[in-house]
Amino acid sequence: MSLRSLIRLALSRLTASPARAALTILGIVIGVASVVALTSAGRGATSGITNRLSGLGGTTVTIRPTNGAALTLDDAYAIASLSGVSAVSPTVSSNGSAKFGLKSSSPTVIGATPAAETASKIEPWAGAFIPVLPSGAAPRIAVVGSTVATDLGLTAHDLGSAISINGVPYTVIGLLQQKGGFGIDTAIYVPLDTARAYITGGLGVDSIAVTTTPDSTVANVEAEATAELHARHRIGTGKTDDFTVTDLTQILSTVTAVQGTLVMLLAGIAGISLLVGGIGVMNIMLVSVRERTREIGVRRAIGARRRDILIQFLVESMVLTFVGGLIGILFGEVAAAIIARIGGWEFTVDIATIGIATAVSVIVGVVFGVLPARQASRLDPVEALRYE
Amino acid sequence: MSSAAPEPIVDLRGVVRHYAAGDEIVRALDGVDIQIQPGEFVAIIGPSGSGKSTAMNLIGCLDKPTAGTVRVAGYNVAELDDDELSSLRSLAVGFVFQQFNLLPRTSVLENVMAPLGYQGVSRSEARERAVAMLTRLGLGERLDADRTQLSGGQQQRVAIARALVTRAPITLADEPTGNLDSVTGAEVIGLLRERRDEGGTVILITHDQEIAAAADRVIRLRDGHVVTSPSAPKRGAGR
Repeated sequence: MSLRSLIRLALSRLTASPARAALTILGIVIGVASVVALTSAGRGATSGITNRLSGLGGTTVTIRPTNGAALTLDDAYAIASLSGVSAVSPTVSSNGSAKFGLKSSSPTVIGATPAAETASKIEPWAGAFIPVLPSGAAPRIAVVGSTVATDLGLTAHDLGSAISINGVPYTVIGLLQQKGGFGIDTAIYVPLDTARAYITGGLGVDSIAVTTTPDSTVANVEAEATAELHARHRIGTGKTDDFTVTDLTQILSTVTAVQGTLVMLLAGIAGISLLVGGIGVMNIMLVSVRERTREIGVRRAIGARRRDILIQFLVESMVLTFVGGLIGILFGEVAAAIIARIGGWEFTVDIATIGIATAVSVIVGVVFGVLPARQASRLDPVEALRYE
Repeated sequence: MSSAAPEPIVDLRGVVRHYAAGDEIVRALDGVDIQIQPGEFVAIIGPSGSGKSTAMNLIGCLDKPTAGTVRVAGYNVAELDDDELSSLRSLAVGFVFQQFNLLPRTSVLENVMAPLGYQGVSRSEARERAVAMLTRLGLGERLDADRTQLSGGQQQRVAIARALVTRAPITLADEPTGNLDSVTGAEVIGLLRERRDEGGTVILITHDQEIAAAADRVIRLRDGHVVTSPSAPKRGAGR
């Protein structure tokens, strides 16, 4: 029989008992839908995170103290004078509380120099960032991140107004655009010396963001800065560093690794539901072979070879899982679109994902259809014809 | 047997078919000789348990003998593998069953096209031949009907169309009137006689003397043996 007739036959079986078919393919639908949703969401999340990280500055190296040690402003200036470095942005940070009128917020208070604006890609939408200040000046001025501004009810009209940070009044000089992730939205920036005088105390800095010159590389700068700090902190070879150097590619690879684990987990769930779905298909096909024993006998009598019966039942289970796969792809893409909206990245339909999902569903049909189809093809025609 | 006779289209010699039913052995056929010539209309008659169903399965190439030889259209059935037997059924035998056995959820037209599909005939040719056959049997208006929309007589006519559409030389009818009233039954027997008149070999399996009387020759089976097997009457030779 031609493939077209076989597919038509299989489809007519499917529509003959739609409720049964629907229940049978439910597992396949769920399995394929989760495969599609997770791969699509995984792709979207990766590109979302990559975009966000590159938005933070891809050539920035961050140095932080470890083991209770301290980095000083002098360390930062020493690094600033290295050949491959165009700017350094030393910062201190501390959790604080802010108030404006009756409203309050719990921001991270970050003491920063004007260099932070470029290093952290900070963009004020109203007012300005911390200006260059004369040496020794510590004015109480504040630049407010978008989430904090919303909490406090600050608008462009409130530039020049005073908010209180840890009970001390500060003049608002700038409001920042929403950036998403990595703490800028939940921060209030104040001048570094101001923070050290009023908020954190001490002379240490909590991190030094280093921006490389265009003709240098991250690796070079990392090596130079490490050597400089070894000299300044008198750390001999074989001794443990009292600082760490990280760049954004490391953060990206960490994020990717975590995400990879998550995808494996979800793929495992998808695999299990495909397995369960496949067993459901096998079960219903075995029932179908039993119910249609006489039909099989008649087909054998009118000339069908074992192979014809085998193919007929295989095509039937493939059509079943193929239809399940199509429905699953539809649900999966809808789910991916919803996840993309929640996650805040762009939703795209990936042809390769759809191709793979379709192939997987057909393969499940073959794998779990073989046993029932073999059983059907091996029925004795005489017995099958006599079957009531 | 006359030595001048042409080669029989169905030739059973010393055929034994035993079944194991639990610990017992059922001797369904126990040394049977049946020769049927091309163009004969033969009835194989016997009560239930006489072995006539077993004989039908052997003649229909659905089964192989325990001992003895079964030759159908010149082929020794015992020497054929499963695929070859299927091909022989497809090419040589058209089945008509008591239960009609139309394929479920399949239109009248598709039912009649099905055996041609297994022969590898193209869909367009199969459709043409099936429509022609169904039209000849008065079912040209019911091509798209499902079996549930047909009377018993109509279903049996579809089954006959399915048996004839392959132009198989042997038409093997197992109690074809068993589920029909006498008028429709007579029509079905008429169709089988027509088939004989065109040169086909018709073998009718029945327990009913009256139905068997329509055949040119009657072979009686009892307890796995042939009781009487008169040689082919002159009528069959005048085709």
